Parts: sequence; C-alpha cells; structure tokens
Amino acid sequence: MPGSALLSLQQELRRGFEALKAAKDTFDGGHAECQELVSSLGNLAPQLKALKQVQISETPLSGFPCLQQRLHYKLSLAVDALLAKLAEKMAALQKVWDAFAQQVFTVVQLYEKNTDALDISVCVSRSAVCPSVSDMLEWLQDADRYYRLQLMQSRLLLQTLTPTDLTSMETAPNRWRSVRSARQEERIADALCQVSIFLETE
Amino acid sequence: MSQSTTPQKGNLTGSARKLKDDAADWHNLTLRWERLNDEGSATATNIVNLGLNKKSHAESEVVMEGGSLSSGDLSENLTKSNQELEEECGKLKDVVDKMANIVSKMEKMVQAERGICELEAFQFGEKGRPEPLFHSWPTKQFAEVSSQLYESYKQELALKKTILQELAHTANADLSMVYLSSWLYQPYIEDSGKLLLESLLLETGHRPL
Repeated sequence: MPGSALLSLQQELRRGFEALKAAKDTFDGGHAECQELVSSLGNLAPQLKALKQVQISETPLSGFPCLQQRLHYKLSLAVDALLAKLAEKMAALQKVWDAFAQQVFTVVQLYEKNTDALDISVCVSRSAVCPSVSDMLEWLQDADRYYRLQLMQSRLLLQTLTPTDLTSMETAPNRWRSVRSARQEERIADALCQVSIFLETE
Repeated sequence: MSQSTTPQKGNLTGSARKLKDDAADWHNLTLRWERLNDEGSATATNIVNLGLNKKSHAESEVVMEGGSLSSGDLSENLTKSNQELEEECGKLKDVVDKMANIVSKMEKMVQAERGICELEAFQFGEKGRPEPLFHSWPTKQFAEVSSQLYESYKQELALKKTILQELAHTANADLSMVYLSSWLYQPYIEDSGKLLLESLLLETGHRPL
C-alpha cells in the first residue's frame, strides 16, 4: 500500500520538523545565553592574569592580609559558577537535541522499512506545497548532524576551560562564536520555510 | 533601615526586640552595601578607562609637539577628560562615604549587642539566661555573629578606601585591574558571612523555619 506508507512517512516527517523547530529555537537562545557566560569567563581571564603579575607586597595594597590568595579564591569561585551555569545550559541543549535526534531516527527507520512500497519517483516528486520526501529526509539529517557537531564542539571547548589555563579562557569567546556556522543556520532556516505549508496540511 | 521600619510582630520587648530589629538591620545594610558596590564598580571602571585615555592623549601630544595645528584641540580634550576624571572620582568618594556610614552603623549594633550581653550577665549571672531568647542561640552568639560580620565589612571598607586613593594615580594597567577586581569581588566578604546572616534571620524568625 504505497499510499498509506507515504502518508505515515509524511506524518513522521511533520513531527521531525516540529522537533527541528523546537531544537532551533532552543539552540538559538541557548547559544546566545552561553555566549554571554563565555564572555564573562573571557573577562575573568585578564583579571586572573593581572593578579598573577602584580606583586601585591610592592603596591599600596601591601598592608592587606592574604589579599592575593583571597582575591584569587573569589575569582576562581566566579569561574566555577560560570562553568556550572554553562554545564546546566549544555544539559538543556543536549535534551532538546536528543528529542530531535530520536525523531529523525524514527523517520529514517520508517523510510527504510518501507523502501519497497515507496517508489523512487514518489520519493523525489515535489509540488509547490509539499517538498519531496528525499529533500525533507536530507534536511532533517543535515540538521541533526549539524546540531550534534555543535554540541560536541561546545563541549570540547568547555572542557578546555580551567582557571589555570588563562590563555584558552581569554580566547574562549571568539572560539565560542565560531562553533556556529552561518551557512548551516541559514540552511536550517530555509528548510523550515520550505516545509511551512506542508506542516499546516495534515 | 531604621528600627521603626521593622514591622512590630508579636509582643517582643527588651533584648529580644532589639536583637530581632538588629537582624533586620543587618539584612538591610548588607543589601545596601551590595548595591553601592555595584554602583562603585561601574564608576571605578570609568576611572580606569579615563586614566588610560589620558595616558594615550599625553603620548599623542608628545608626537604632535612639532605641529601646532592640533595641539590646542588636544589640550582641550585633556582638560575635558581631567574634568570627567575628577567627577568620577567624586562619585566614587560618595560611594565610599556611604559605605563608611554603613560600617559605622554596623559598629554601633555590635556595641549595643555587647551591651545586651553585659546586661544579661548582670541579670542572670555569667551563665546567662536559662531559656534562649528565640529558638536556640544563647545571647552571646548574636554579639559574636555581629562582630564577625562587622570585622569583614570593616576590612573591606579599608580596602575600598585604599582603592579610592590609588585608582586614578596608577599607571600600571595590571595593578588597575587588580584594584577593579578587588572592588568587585570583595575578597574580605566571605560566603560564610552570608550563611551567618541567613542563620541570624532564621533564628530571629525573619525567615520561616
């Protein structure tokens, strides 16, 4: 029954794009929020560096007991607090991506199960209101791959950040920005535009 | 801030009333301190930035010495930035003065609470009253907590006074940065102080148990 196989595949594709929409919103917001936190980390690095370089005993602050250690402790606490917040945000992103990835897996599995019933000409045919099944599968899989890569790169970046490696902390804001690819973001936004009518027709 | 703003709940009188009001004052004063700290931090950052600008102006003036065309503009700029620097320093001084005011209020509370302890020793002997005034703290503990909090704010105020004096005069960028982070991160106000304050509020019934 090629008709019903196509219909149920389209239904799963709709769910996939709904999940993509949710993932995109969360990733867009989450990335901007994390950017702010990473910038704060970037600001702490020069403060820790300056503290290392200054000989407190030779400054007007020499009379203050354990100032260097106390300030270093406070700055390290600030670093830890930011890293903890970042870890929390990453966990939220991971959760949304998991849901999306699961849906992509379901769609692909359904497609593979029904390859016999779905003629290639059916899969590549498209209309003004409905993109082809093959295009839609490709968009979902590309988005899935892109978000997975983004998550991995973000995680890797965060793992390198410790209060002892000040240079990597200082360059973190710029590296964080480059985790996102403008081209891929545009492709995802385009794909969502192209399926907008398809999503409305049940 | 004053005791009259503390809602009169129940029929606490005497030492208990005074200690409960003091606990509320501690809460209000530390909040006010934090607000002033943020305000001062922004001003201190401005001072450092103006100082850096001034330095770069002075350097460019040396370069431009030969040509008389723009040196007038430069000195005008310098006067303007000096004025701004003075204004910002005035603002920071206001903040430090207000903080000093807070610390002197804290000192008075510590003295009053020591007085309460002495009164209790007079009334009940060295062992103090048989029943605690609130949940579990002996009266001495209130004086100890207040005095501990007061010492940390006193030290922090001394640090801020030094920063105020030195900030506009330092040419060392690293030292300026240390001044700024010392101002913002307040090395002498420990997290344990927050815990002490919260337990004081719990004990006196300002926070529900």
